Amino acid sequence: MISELFSMTVLVGILASGIRLATPYLYAAIGETFSQRSGVLNLGVEGQMLLGAFAAFYVALTTGNLWLGVLAALIVGALMGLAMAFVTINLHAEQGISGIGFYLFGLGLSDLLFQKMLGTVETVRGFPKIQIPFLSDIPIIGEIFFRQNVLVYIALALVPLAWFVLNKSTLGLKIRAVGENPEAADSLGVSVARVRYFTIILGGILSGVAGASLSIALLNVFQQNMTSGLGFIAVALVYFGAWRPWGVLGGALLFSLVNSLQLWVQVLGIPIPSDIAVMMPYILTILVLVITVSRVRPPSALTKPFERGD
Amino acid sequence: MKKFRFLLTILLALAVLLAACQTEDAEPGDDEPVAEDTGPFQVAVVMPSAINDLAFSQSMYDALIAIQEEMGGEEAMTFDYSDGMFVVDDAAAAIRDYAAQGYDLVIAHGSQYGSSLQEIAPDFPETSFAWGTTLDTFGIDNIFAYEAASQEGGYVNGVIAASLSESGVLGVVGPIETGDAKLYVDGFVAGAKATVPDIEVNVNYIGSFSDVALAAEAANTHVAAGADGLTGTAQMVVGAIGVAEENGVLWFGTQASQTELAPENVVANQVYRWDVVLSEIVDLIDAGTLGGKSFVINLANGGEVIEFNSDYDLPAEIQTLAEDTIAGIIDGSIDTGVGTASEPMDKAPEFEGGFQVAVVMPSAINDLAFSQSMYDALVAVQEWMGGEEAMTFDYSDGMFVVDDAAAAIRDYAAQGYDLVIAHGSQYGSSLQEIAPDFPETSFAWGTTLDTFGIDNIFAYEAASQEGGYVNGVIAASLSESGVLGVVGPIETGDAKLYVDGFVAGAKATVPDIEVNVNYIGSFSDVALAAEAANTHVAAGADGLTGTAQMVVGAIGVAEENGVLWFGTQASQTALAPENVVANQVYHWDVVLKDIVEMIADGTYGGTSFVINLANGGEVMDYNLDFDLPAEVKALAEETVQGIIDGTISLLY
Repeated sequence: MISELFSMTVLVGILASGIRLATPYLYAAIGETFSQRSGVLNLGVEGQMLLGAFAAFYVALTTGNLWLGVLAALIVGALMGLAMAFVTINLHAEQGISGIGFYLFGLGLSDLLFQKMLGTVETVRGFPKIQIPFLSDIPIIGEIFFRQNVLVYIALALVPLAWFVLNKSTLGLKIRAVGENPEAADSLGVSVARVRYFTIILGGILSGVAGASLSIALLNVFQQNMTSGLGFIAVALVYFGAWRPWGVLGGALLFSLVNSLQLWVQVLGIPIPSDIAVMMPYILTILVLVITVSRVRPPSALTKPFERGD
Repeated sequence: MKKFRFLLTILLALAVLLAACQTEDAEPGDDEPVAEDTGPFQVAVVMPSAINDLAFSQSMYDALIAIQEEMGGEEAMTFDYSDGMFVVDDAAAAIRDYAAQGYDLVIAHGSQYGSSLQEIAPDFPETSFAWGTTLDTFGIDNIFAYEAASQEGGYVNGVIAASLSESGVLGVVGPIETGDAKLYVDGFVAGAKATVPDIEVNVNYIGSFSDVALAAEAANTHVAAGADGLTGTAQMVVGAIGVAEENGVLWFGTQASQTELAPENVVANQVYRWDVVLSEIVDLIDAGTLGGKSFVINLANGGEVIEFNSDYDLPAEIQTLAEDTIAGIIDGSIDTGVGTASEPMDKAPEFEGGFQVAVVMPSAINDLAFSQSMYDALVAVQEWMGGEEAMTFDYSDGMFVVDDAAAAIRDYAAQGYDLVIAHGSQYGSSLQEIAPDFPETSFAWGTTLDTFGIDNIFAYEAASQEGGYVNGVIAASLSESGVLGVVGPIETGDAKLYVDGFVAGAKATVPDIEVNVNYIGSFSDVALAAEAANTHVAAGADGLTGTAQMVVGAIGVAEENGVLWFGTQASQTALAPENVVANQVYHWDVVLKDIVEMIADGTYGGTSFVINLANGGEVMDYNLDFDLPAEVKALAEETVQGIIDGTISLLY
């Protein structure tokens, strides 16, 4: 049985589903990386994802246009981000608590809208799998990497882009400065509030798209509370990835691959109780967190509201 | 100060957002203040859908226009309306407002408004109220009630449809199997069968009065199943009419004329003429009687009219047959054989002041799975007990946080509900603490058989292994790859029973079949359920099943990969009409009826119940669109029979 785990079908299966599972995490966690690097902990990711998922689903269902659905998720995410930014930056609210508030708001509102506007679980025809010419024909690799839907590719492309913005651009420098030493950044003429508004709204947008990737690309349904904790895992993955886009990618892939591994372990009848199998990704996450956290320091100003001294 | 400002801002933001989410409620009575007795006769009406819905609400609006004309125009009679009042609380507020403003007659046009009206009417003894569709005036002497004998026009439509059908298949799109809709549908089926005995009439209740998309999909389903004549009732059928037009099949309308929606496809409409009732009510009010009477519109009194579409070329002999049928119904020589909805089949116990039920559920009432099965059962029990005046229920759904659920259970009990249902085995330990504090309240919980020995707790469980076994038999018979996959939540309770039954049924049918089982560790993680299904497909499975509300993700994967799906708990056919073969559907109302009867006899708990195939609490629902080979269907039915009579033993 264990040997079957190393057959080609199973390995390809694990990798392909690992990448699919990682997609929503990537969007949400990259967005969260930006806001945390600027010093803001956004725990409302899950709520933003749910509203994004609903908006995308509803718009795609009613208009038949999937890109309008993505746009709707993007707008809803941006609005949620704007509200979060106002509460944390202008009102100096405690970030953890207000984030939970935004989560509950998104959970409740998406359910209310679902009940009133749809009434029942429906399906929509989502983004199809794109076969990238030539590349998709490569054995194994082709099936794993080059036969996915467009939102999966965009998620993967976001990683180097985010790395570039954070580490190689002036904007990234400002974001990091604001997250490490807002007083110093402020004294050099960087608007802490403006940078944080930007990162929180960007985080909201990416969380909204994370929701859309579930409701109109990967699952093509909307159901109450369908994210089921994905948003919180995404926040954990930012710590896991040590606030670096490549680290976040590694974390998302590792978590997802272990998750798909445990699915296969059960399918192949390997005698591990299912309750233990489903714990595997979480146990691994905790282990890695323990190792990385001792090694890497979070942004110094994380969760600290900035008030300009006189 | 800063904190205060923060809180204020949050509250304002929430208020603005919530206000934005509300539907536009028509403000009742924003017109001129009400004149004294000397002015025109003033009517106000509250309706659940739009006045131009070409169905239920429009039939009332048209009647008001007709009555206005009859009475001599706007000087003699004026009316105001609030339409789109699908939220009952809003409707109740509107009804009270209208009454307070001194309207002569306030009409609550929807059976869902009954219990509100029962509270409001006694506060305004000078105002006359009317409501429908029902025959129940609550014995209050300023309430009139009205109902349509919709089975009569349904029967006529059925006769015409059967006469015209070439394929021998008709399709019906209904909302919820109750009241006016059920009467119409039953009448249609009876009329069709009376005309062409071996005609196939497929009936689909979509579970909603407003889901236009689903109604369209139901119509598509009927067309795919070969129907060449369709009908349907309630305001969501506009979606179905579009499908009829698109596919060039016939449509038979009811409630209002729907000809304009598909001028080439509509053959005939049963049109409601509520003005027949309204004119009698107005006369009674003029004579000083404000209520206490009920009315029925039917073909005989002209309150129902069969309107033929003059653009449709109906053969003369069929037109004659239809007219003979109308005459026969009027003179009583034809009996539609369909009773009125107000007469339940088996007599439900009556409770003074109505029977109140509250239920706490872990997922959404429309999850197409566990919670929906309970919601549907409560609707059925309400119908059985005689509607909202006899039984009302409230629910808290989406209570996946057990602490919140416990608080809700305690609240409901404290508010004096007769029966509080904790629908989820995770609520057990909370219930065990709460129930002894409310000895006068009856509690029920499931799925389990454990009442904790507490004498005000009932317990209920589903023998889900039975339908699981049947699904397993069918799945193994259909599988070509010899591999099946199961997506389960957590290896316990109802889920484990179902999964074990499925595996046993499959193995009993094809001993060397491979059934891969995957418990994902969550009842709500839709994404992981989808990935588990992908894993099964990659491992070669060509038939999948799964239980609990997160399986909607897995069903999508089944559809995408063209593999079969076997449902349980509720019918999941709508999610993948080409892939769902059969569903085990729970009918908890079988248990709830027993519980209601025991409470009526003074027993508040201490008994546990099981639904199964034998007692009708579990029903195998086959997807008519799936072309199940006759021998497999026969095998499935033998299996059901074997489980019921005990020749197939599920002790494994």
